[in-house]
Amino acid sequence: MLRTEINELLTQTGPGTPMGDLFRRYWQPVLLAEELPENDCPPVRVKVLSERLVAFRDSSGRYGLMDEFCAHRGASLWFGRNEENGLRCPYHGWKYDVTGQAVDVPSEADNGNFCASVKLKSYPTVKLGDVLWAYLGDPDKQPPLPEWEAYTVPDGQVFTSKRLQECNWLQALEGGIDSSHVTFLHGGNLDTDPLFKGSKGNEYNKGDLKPFFEVVDYEGGLLIGARRNAEEETYYWRVTPWVLPNFTMVPPRGDHPVHGHFWVPIDDENCWAYSFDYHPTRQLTETELEAMRAGKGVHSANDAAYRPLANKDNDYLMDRDAQRRGVTYSGIEGIALQDSSLQESMGPIVDRTKERLVATDAGIIKARQKLRKAVLALQDGVDPVGNRPQDQKVRSVATVLPREQAFVDGIGEAMKAEPGKPHTSV
Amino acid sequence: MFENLSIPVGPSSCAEATTAKEAAYRIDYPLPAARNTRIIALDSEAAAIVRGASELEWGQARFYETSDPGTDLVTMDGRTVSLEGEIAESNTIVMVSASGENAAAMAHLGEVCYNRGIMTAGLAMTPGNLDSDALHNLRPHARVLLVPAEPDDLVELLWATRA
Repeated sequence: MLRTEINELLTQTGPGTPMGDLFRRYWQPVLLAEELPENDCPPVRVKVLSERLVAFRDSSGRYGLMDEFCAHRGASLWFGRNEENGLRCPYHGWKYDVTGQAVDVPSEADNGNFCASVKLKSYPTVKLGDVLWAYLGDPDKQPPLPEWEAYTVPDGQVFTSKRLQECNWLQALEGGIDSSHVTFLHGGNLDTDPLFKGSKGNEYNKGDLKPFFEVVDYEGGLLIGARRNAEEETYYWRVTPWVLPNFTMVPPRGDHPVHGHFWVPIDDENCWAYSFDYHPTRQLTETELEAMRAGKGVHSANDAAYRPLANKDNDYLMDRDAQRRGVTYSGIEGIALQDSSLQESMGPIVDRTKERLVATDAGIIKARQKLRKAVLALQDGVDPVGNRPQDQKVRSVATVLPREQAFVDGIGEAMKAEPGKPHTSV
Repeated sequence: MFENLSIPVGPSSCAEATTAKEAAYRIDYPLPAARNTRIIALDSEAAAIVRGASELEWGQARFYETSDPGTDLVTMDGRTVSLEGEIAESNTIVMVSASGENAAAMAHLGEVCYNRGIMTAGLAMTPGNLDSDALHNLRPHARVLLVPAEPDDLVELLWATRA
């Protein structure tokens, strides 16, 4: 249960909201690099944190992210002409560079002086890996560029997809923290999904349906350890990191690539799931890439607007026969859609005053508490965590440990990302 | 292959049912009784935290201290009561430990709860310390552990689970 005012505090991320202020202290994924594939390509509308923006890539390869609307009459710059290092509004020819600075206003005689006084709000945007990242906050508080391991590995070792999720970001995030649903909702996929199947860990997963949980306070967020019986003297641990405010990783399985998510608010009733797979020590194989593009693992098969093909308009292609036969537990195909279908079914912003949490929801309870504390601390001038490189160099872990060993001790350095170091997986 | 798929139908379709407008029609009725939680401090430091939490308003939560062997509990007003009697109607036990003392009591609580199918949670009240006797002694007996827990974690957990 969460009081109404706390629910609103955590779910509203628009400009001027407390949680919005927190989000604006982090670099966030705003586009896949493929959406601006070449210099002077068509601009793209972007909505993030309830701000309508337009993104473009200029003639020199620089990325711009700025107010969608022309300063002159408010026309959308999505209609703009991307030419000669600027985006030109086709209505009256006003042109802006990647910083939002007007560089040409043809109708004005004193062109240079007038231009200097016209600047659209813009945000720094960079490409790291296959994702474009933007910082929407106070320039004086801009943190270092993100150093998530997935986006520091060599080309060919990471694949990112994005998927529209039609509910508030917190519902989606909480699914990433909630380890206890995996056995049920995704149980049918462990043996069939090409990006999951074949690991010894899957056998442990299926052999112990009542895991124990340890929720460990970690400087950048939480580590949620799920413990299952392995052999007589050992436990199988799956450790999920959550880093404030919206990053989660899934513990690996065998030598499969490692996956995780950023849950990025579009507005208060929609978010993007940026889902990645990477391997810290090798290139992704063509077979793996084919599976990811086909929507396997944590990805989904989407339309051109990155909306899943199975969505609420077609009841997520619910297959009651597959549900009955246990091919899938919920009747929905694919791990990503299994999650999002249920999270969207809660409504755009779930009323958490009516929920009945149980002790195994401790990870969710603690995450909400940490988010609330971070929001309130920020109002008192305390810098948030999670936007520092040391918080971001984290890995998920799957391992087998002696029963008497604390997982935090047992995984030791395994949860620290380092270039070229193999990940710890079972 | 598509003959088994659900066909979206009017108000029963996900598209219509998941709108904010439809959320307003969720039926409203009194929530079921609060969770029947027992909160048990296992050492004096933990007892101070538990006592602080007990002074807030709760539904059916009850608060105690205990020590080895854990067969009896002491209420916040100093009465000694039997564990068996106090957990008869309970569905969740929260064990709170700071020093890790009274490991036999933890084991007894864990065993009794396991036999009765009662959910167990453990809070290792060792701020800043990821490894502790509290953690080691609670681990075998708590299905969920908060490590390290802070004093307000207890209140948050109880609030969130409607204790």
